[in-house]
Amino acid sequence: MKPSSPGSPSQTKSKMPALDAPTAVVNLHFMDDPVALLIQSTAAQDRAAFRELYSVSSAKLMGVLLRILNNRAESEDALQEVYTRVWLKAGRFDATKGRGMTWLIALSRNLAIDRLRQRPDHVSDDDAMAAHADPAPRAELRMVAAGEARRINDCFATLEPDRAEALRGAYLTGLSYSDLAAHYGVPLNTMRTWLRRSLQKLKECMGS
Amino acid sequence: MTDLPPLPPEDDDDLLAAEYVIGLLPRADRAAFDARLRRDTALALRVADWEDRLSGLNDDYPEVAAPNLLPQIEARLFPQVAAARRRWLSNFWTMGAAITAALALVAYLALTPPAPSFTATLIAVSSPLKYEAVITQDRLTLTRVAGSAADAAHAHELWLIAGDNPPVSLGVILGDSETITLPGLAAGQTLAVTLEQSGGSPDGKPHGPIVAAGKLTAA
Repeated sequence: MKPSSPGSPSQTKSKMPALDAPTAVVNLHFMDDPVALLIQSTAAQDRAAFRELYSVSSAKLMGVLLRILNNRAESEDALQEVYTRVWLKAGRFDATKGRGMTWLIALSRNLAIDRLRQRPDHVSDDDAMAAHADPAPRAELRMVAAGEARRINDCFATLEPDRAEALRGAYLTGLSYSDLAAHYGVPLNTMRTWLRRSLQKLKECMGS
Repeated sequence: MTDLPPLPPEDDDDLLAAEYVIGLLPRADRAAFDARLRRDTALALRVADWEDRLSGLNDDYPEVAAPNLLPQIEARLFPQVAAARRRWLSNFWTMGAAITAALALVAYLALTPPAPSFTATLIAVSSPLKYEAVITQDRLTLTRVAGSAADAAHAHELWLIAGDNPPVSLGVILGDSETITLPGLAAGQTLAVTLEQSGGSPDGKPHGPIVAAGKLTAA
């Protein structure tokens, strides 16, 4: 729980004249991001918008949770928790800082990874490793702007292939350093050094 | 993390933020990072940047049809509404007359006062910890008036307990005073604060001990 920040879209909107520039910027963000608009309406306690948000985003978030948790029942339980948090935390979403779906996926990944790390028997998981070798998703289901994906894929291509694969696998399935070290048969420290160098390279490539 | 070597300080935070976002860190390090994240806005910005930077990978997550879990989600978030809906349905069938039931519903809705006001004092049995909750117009403001916040390894998490329903997490208490919007509160419901791991309960169920609790009463 956190008071909605002074910069949150809902408050910004209510305090500013209708034609003020920042408001226009916020609205522009919404024009190509209907999910962001639904999150903002959810922050304003609009239950119809919340239901609509569930109907447009639950399949993608279910895909995220299933990939990381690798268990249907637990993923459905986690999905309920995700949308409970979405309702309670929607006021923290800032459409000027990122896309709505990116925020929802980050929230879902965080929750799934927390659950994964809490499992007492969490060890190197061959199932999870196999899961990340899935074929590419159907093109029509892609929800992130195509340009973003192309950019990161170009940058991944500049990394050494096994390290790029390890990073991608860790991101998509929630593998930890110890999982990766076991899978690739290298010491933990070596794995961390490799991935940190790759992350540095990735950041430079993406121009930040 | 105890089994990883120390790192040079330069750029360490940024790489740590990346490792956190990706999910590479073991549990203890993840919890420690979560605790820092709540106080360190610069660190939060680094995390947001990495989330954005890596968001292109999200394309690889397939869509998987999810069952309609909205009834369960809404029952957790809006316990009063769910109860009213159940009451109405049972009236409908036992009376066997749609008109009577509809009139009952209209009367119920008309008699339900809009956005009532409540207060609650959440006290502890064996410590000076004390929170005051004030609810007006569906906004709940919780203020710690005595005792101390959780240490860095833990967090105070607020829960709503309505009747026999399982507790609903209202979130981790980040500062000395917090405000959230929450419709559907009613007198007699209990607010409780538990001591959870840093970052709060990961599964929406309380794990730690109750450190303070109190019932809502009409203001």
